[in-house]
Amino acid sequence: MSTEPTTPSPAVAGDPTLRRVLAFFALILAVLVVVVVVSLVNLNRSVAASEWVNHTHALITELDALQPTLEAAEGELSRYLLTAELRDHGAYKDKFAELGEHVDVANALIGGSAAEKELFQPIAALLAKRAEVATRVMQLRKAGDAVALEQFLKEDAGTTDHGELARLIEKFRATQTDLLTARDRALFLQAQTTRWTVLTGLVLDFLLLCGAAWLIRDDLAARRLANRVLQESNAALEEKVRQRTAELSDANGRLLAQSLEDRWSKQAMEHQSRYNQLIIDSISDTVFVVTKLMNVSRLNPAAVHLTGFEPAEVIDKPLGRLLSVNGTTDPAKPTFDPLARALAEGRDLRDKGAYVVTKSGQSLPVRLNIYPLRDRDKVVGGVVILQPANPVST
Amino acid sequence: MSDTTRPPFVPAHSLPVPGSSQKHILAIDDELPILELLQEFLRAQGYRVSTANNAHVAMRIVESEAPDLIISDLQLEETDGLHLIEQLRVVLPKTPVILLTGVLFDAQVVDQNLKWKISSYVSKTAPLQSLVDEIRRHIGR
Repeated sequence: MSTEPTTPSPAVAGDPTLRRVLAFFALILAVLVVVVVVSLVNLNRSVAASEWVNHTHALITELDALQPTLEAAEGELSRYLLTAELRDHGAYKDKFAELGEHVDVANALIGGSAAEKELFQPIAALLAKRAEVATRVMQLRKAGDAVALEQFLKEDAGTTDHGELARLIEKFRATQTDLLTARDRALFLQAQTTRWTVLTGLVLDFLLLCGAAWLIRDDLAARRLANRVLQESNAALEEKVRQRTAELSDANGRLLAQSLEDRWSKQAMEHQSRYNQLIIDSISDTVFVVTKLMNVSRLNPAAVHLTGFEPAEVIDKPLGRLLSVNGTTDPAKPTFDPLARALAEGRDLRDKGAYVVTKSGQSLPVRLNIYPLRDRDKVVGGVVILQPANPVST
Repeated sequence: MSDTTRPPFVPAHSLPVPGSSQKHILAIDDELPILELLQEFLRAQGYRVSTANNAHVAMRIVESEAPDLIISDLQLEETDGLHLIEQLRVVLPKTPVILLTGVLFDAQVVDQNLKWKISSYVSKTAPLQSLVDEIRRHIGR
């Protein structure tokens, strides 16, 4: 035999409502079993009681037949004594035989019941006595002793055997009647018990079914509610996701637009710068573009060719390193001031004599023009244009 | 630094797909990065964009499917933008033309001297949004 403990299935273990419903159905089944068992037991009892009632009625019938049969037998005996006919003799013997059969049947019905035997014993004895009286009468009749017969009959007439027999039978009969009444009451009670058991079982099962139905309905309602809440929650979540997606899409659109604007701006700046450089590069004269502080910010190929410096060597460097006005190349000296002063004042300076100091250290005479660069009203730098010239004469 | 996440730009020398309900814009510029930016931005704004980096391609597109608006640079490799605009005007006299250039123009000068050739002038240094505003002013969304 397996000793492993039985474990409920995961579906049952995880669902309390299912567990409760199963418990309800188990109770319903138990009630039905109880009802059936009680009904079967009561049915068996009823069958047994019914057999006993039939048996008791049969016994009472036999008891009721005893005295009339005895009286009939003694009547037939008296008739034979008067008529001495063979027919009456036979009738007398038949009646006594019938009486004996009633006694035998009654004894058989009583069986092993001690109480009934005790009650029936005096009756049987009295009947036996009456049979002996009849036998004695027949003996005296056969002997032809009429005086003795008359004497015997007179003595017998004085006995109370018949009254005693009637009393004993009535007593026995009353006892059986009382038992019948008790059994009837017991049968009625059993029938009532069966009826109430079945009714109670049905009511209990109905109530249990109602309880199970209520549990199922309650669980279904709870599930429907949970499902509705879940659907609403999902809808709210989807709405939030939709809103968030729209926000993210807008933000992405803005970022994309901003990114494009930035790239466009950079492209435009590069284009503009390249275009400006093209303008400067296309001029055959030497051109330097300077800041307000006279540092070089651009130069054209002609300037590279004239000075021998590459753009990287001069851009963001003072123009004074390359250019000598009034015969000096020291930007700290006041001799370079005319250019800076012209820019500061926002005026042109034209056809000024100067020297370009090349990378190889050679000084080349040039004619210098400077034009301020204006952004609206503000000077932001200047353009210096050099043209070849004879040596400067100051 | 190049943006490796974007697909390589292919100028729309291929012909546009007719039948779309979107407004059709032809952008002409000899600089591919400019064309790429214009196409990306205008498509994001809901327009169908064809691009041409020379006059020949521009004319071919115009003959294939007339655009609702033309955006042209001033300086092209083999011709002048204004000259190309004159040629396009012969084919499409009522189509708005926006001159988009980095060459600095005075707005007053443009209004006085170029108003017979172009519908609007937008500087390349202006934000792209101003170009879209100008497009919408002419052809709507």
